[in-house]
Amino acid sequence: MRSLLTLLCATLASAASLNIAILPSLHLPNPSLLPPSTHAVLIGPPGVRYDAALRRDNTLKFEALPEASYLLTIYSRDHFFPPLRVDVSKVTDGAEQQTIEAWQTFRGNEWSNKGSPYGSGTDALSIQIQASAQKEFYQTRGGFDMLGFLKSPMILMGLVSVVFIFGLPYIMDNMDPEMKQEFEEMQKKGPLTGSQGAATQMQNFDVAGWLAGKK
Amino acid sequence: MFLPLIAVPLLLAGSALAVFTDEAWNVDYHYALLGHPKQSTSFFHQPNPSSRASLIFTLSEEGVLGAINPRDGAVVWRQVLLPGASAHNASFLRAGEGQDVVISGIGSQVAAWSAGDGRQAWSLDVNGPVEDVEILELVDGKDASGAKDAVALSGGDHPLVQRLDGATGAVKWQHQLGGTDAPYQVSASTTEVFAISLHKTILGYLKLKVTSLDPVTGHKTDEHMLSSENELATAETIVTVGANSASPIIAWTDSAHSVLKVNIMGTKGISSFEIEKHDGQAVERVELHAPYHLNSLSHFLVHYQTATSHWAEVFHVDLKNGKVGKAYSLPKLSGRGAFSTSTSDANVYFTRVTRNEVMTVSSASHGILGRWSVDGFNVAAGEGEEIEPIHAVSDVSVRGDTVSAVRSAVLLSTGDWVLLRDGSPVWDRPEMLASTVSATFASPAEMETLVQQLEAEAHSNPIQAYIHRVSRHLHDLQRLPSFILSLPQKIVQGFLGTSADGGIATDSFGFHQIIACATKDGRLVAVDAGNPDKVLWNQQVADLQPGQIWQPSVSSPRGGVIEISSKASAGVQYNASSGEQLASILPIDLAADQTAQEVKYTMHDGGLEATVDSSTTWHFMPTSGERIVSLVPRPVNDPVASIGKVLGDRRVLYKYLDPNLALLVTANDAARAATFYVLNTVSGAILYSNVHSGVDVSSPIASMLSENWFTYSFTAEALGDSPKGHQLVVGELFESLVANDRGLLSSTANYSSMQTGTEPFTLTKIYQIPEAVSKMAVTRTRQGITSRQLLAVLADSSAVVGIPYGVLDPRRPINRDPSKDEQAEGLVRYSPVIDFDPKWYLNHQREVVGVKDVITSPALLESTSLLFAYGLDIFGTRLSPSFSFDVLGKDFNKFQMLATVAALAVATFVVAPLVMRKQVNSRWQFM
Repeated sequence: MRSLLTLLCATLASAASLNIAILPSLHLPNPSLLPPSTHAVLIGPPGVRYDAALRRDNTLKFEALPEASYLLTIYSRDHFFPPLRVDVSKVTDGAEQQTIEAWQTFRGNEWSNKGSPYGSGTDALSIQIQASAQKEFYQTRGGFDMLGFLKSPMILMGLVSVVFIFGLPYIMDNMDPEMKQEFEEMQKKGPLTGSQGAATQMQNFDVAGWLAGKK
Repeated sequence: MFLPLIAVPLLLAGSALAVFTDEAWNVDYHYALLGHPKQSTSFFHQPNPSSRASLIFTLSEEGVLGAINPRDGAVVWRQVLLPGASAHNASFLRAGEGQDVVISGIGSQVAAWSAGDGRQAWSLDVNGPVEDVEILELVDGKDASGAKDAVALSGGDHPLVQRLDGATGAVKWQHQLGGTDAPYQVSASTTEVFAISLHKTILGYLKLKVTSLDPVTGHKTDEHMLSSENELATAETIVTVGANSASPIIAWTDSAHSVLKVNIMGTKGISSFEIEKHDGQAVERVELHAPYHLNSLSHFLVHYQTATSHWAEVFHVDLKNGKVGKAYSLPKLSGRGAFSTSTSDANVYFTRVTRNEVMTVSSASHGILGRWSVDGFNVAAGEGEEIEPIHAVSDVSVRGDTVSAVRSAVLLSTGDWVLLRDGSPVWDRPEMLASTVSATFASPAEMETLVQQLEAEAHSNPIQAYIHRVSRHLHDLQRLPSFILSLPQKIVQGFLGTSADGGIATDSFGFHQIIACATKDGRLVAVDAGNPDKVLWNQQVADLQPGQIWQPSVSSPRGGVIEISSKASAGVQYNASSGEQLASILPIDLAADQTAQEVKYTMHDGGLEATVDSSTTWHFMPTSGERIVSLVPRPVNDPVASIGKVLGDRRVLYKYLDPNLALLVTANDAARAATFYVLNTVSGAILYSNVHSGVDVSSPIASMLSENWFTYSFTAEALGDSPKGHQLVVGELFESLVANDRGLLSSTANYSSMQTGTEPFTLTKIYQIPEAVSKMAVTRTRQGITSRQLLAVLADSSAVVGIPYGVLDPRRPINRDPSKDEQAEGLVRYSPVIDFDPKWYLNHQREVVGVKDVITSPALLESTSLLFAYGLDIFGTRLSPSFSFDVLGKDFNKFQMLATVAALAVATFVVAPLVMRKQVNSRWQFM
């Protein structure tokens, strides 16, 4: 593979070179912190592939590119970079020189669908690129959240009933006697409460008598 | 009946899979390896000239350049310079004194790397194989940058010597070495650059040709042939061509190792020394160790090794009259020894590491400056195997006249790279695992003994079985006291959530499986997947000659047993837990299925041939111009929980399940096309085939087949309007595409692939993926109930991703939103691009470099699958593709549960009297 590439380089004697500088951005404030494993891959026609390692000055360099249309991808441990399309072609009038152009490209779109241009040059091109996103590897578990816990309907219902249990007798005690009497009257008339109320009857139901057949 | 059927897929469908924060770094394990370090390319070097802290640098046989922290053995940085390199590849690594770069030479590339962080400073393609790289230590005075230049020697059709600028890598001058002589090495003294080439005489012997060059202009100043008479038959007996010393030397021996000849480069005189014989044993190896600094004393040590012992002699070079003289010798010791050279100012120290001790002497006299005994290297080895040091690099601290401390990074015969600080091991890097060629999971032998005992009870008569059982229980009772003693601790740990996983014997989840790895140099190494920090055992299983290649395959034919077989030998079995070799005569298993017939496959004339009972049943011949790339069969142990897919409306689509399926990939290099076939391996029928054009057939084409679905990926070229990039294709086979219908198979009770030729209905989807997949695997669980994850190795990102099947499902609706029923199944609208979510990266922030294969194994828990990736790095983890539904994970908060119980208890006690009083009051008040 490598020898094939050197052969290719030797026969075409091409001089096109590409220099990619990684600029600081919102997602990557300091490109000098990129791990040394960061590298860029140029994929040309089948069988042609170039790999460049990240340099000390945060650049990636490709030398002596033959004429072809390439897909440029930058791989880094912690960041995503946008894919680019790089075309190296002969200058129409000149015999020896090559034009090199770069555009943004979109995955899953037809190859002719080019995005915004990154630049073009003769024999050499320097482009600048920024990280498009940071990789978030980890998923945190939904931990215990007090506010969310209180918001749940079960807990709300429980809290309301607690308020009624403890709060109502207190309110009753603090009511003025007239109103209290009125309230008690109302309670007695209610279908559930009072001595004839269903609840009281239910509580006082004579189970033993009923079982013994008492009418 | 339908409810459980539908419940399971519905529960499992909506899972968004990820690596959890609390599991990352705990559940997974990773050995960031470099491969076997070479003596000539390993050294201690200070990456920052202003600080005294040094790192260990090495360029390994596997072509990986790395820096190791000598304190804990951790990798500071590494670069894979030549993927797939082996010991045959010449490689060079040099560091100039006081320089912040290291310069490597491998393949056809010379590159400088920042020593502190591993970034590239420059690289140069030298148009031919790199034969040697040296650093020019001489100072011009003009160069203010301080970067020292390098000299590179390249071979090929036009051998060249080039001087490269130390700061930019630009070529300052080049000198063509004419003639047909093979370039051998390059060397530099303070005033000259020497290029040494090998001249072949008419009689077939080699002569050393030394060409002297002017370091400033590159012009030839002198050329002479060394009269090596008829001693040099091969280049292997050239002991050394020293460099970067005050007086570089060339040393060689005859093929019988009886005489040592030394020449000081630039002179024509040759000093000759008899090699004494000890005990009549032949000297197997002669090595020369010399300091690598211009201002060091020009002393060197020659190390002689026989089969059973070793000794060394120290020589001094007299710079004034150009004479080499023997100064003293170090006594003979049994076993192998490793010598290393260290310098401190001008002084030179030699450190000798043997199996029993480490000692340091000065090059000036034979007095021992420091001596430490070695009690053991603290690494696993085979039974009765003597661990020997192979080679070492050392760093000595000198205080006054004595050596106060010495650190030696020693490569052992077991393949471990250990650091000895004053004779005691500090860390250990299992570099032998970097050359793993085959691996398997096996259950530990301890787990199998109980199974065997229970089986013995089941098959004997009741009285014997009863006695056996009582004695077994009595035997178990012996463990009771220790169990009771450990109980309080266990409870406390369980309460605090700090309980570590138990050992192999108490493993109830099946996480403690043994992984056996067969390495390139003939060793079998076992690691416990539940406790991966330590190698369990490690032994030599094949006696390989240097350079010999074997292709072992490791498997586990039954629990607790590992079987290793290669082309040359039948399977040899080992106990999985101890590594003990089992009886070579295996009991023949009479209970094995006699009716099952084996179908064998062989590659024949570029085609595939299947034979049953030595008669050919079918042929597969690719069309002309095509070659077979790979054949992936369905795994033998591939349990499927349900024969159908339950749809949202509770109807069923029946899966096409056939145990004899295989995915065959062929490539046409001329037409740049790849064809994919799903074959029935018994009848040879093609069940599905598809051709893709514009495929890069030289890049990896990964493929995988499991259950009733297959998947493959390739890199495609833009043809017309099609996109350029990497593609992943998923296909699923069904008996029919009509729900609740089994097609032709519905009426048959039995099924044979020889008789009925039913063809499946195949649904496929193609996706664009952001990067190339070099290998695929699939998760495996015990019953196959848990949903599956496709495991894809991404070589460019150094990662392994787990892609949930729901994302790949070929039934994702196109150009419309999923209907209510489809939503219930968990199907989402098709989109042509799958972006690998970083949360799918099983290795998260770790960089798993050079993975060649991934193996998976079911745990005892249905939810969990174990994964092990090997190649260069070793990476393993546990996966729960449908979350851990059958075990309490780290997310289960024990404290919260106990707090809730306590709060409820308190509430009950507080409220009970209140309620009681209210009831009593209500009775008395209203009656």
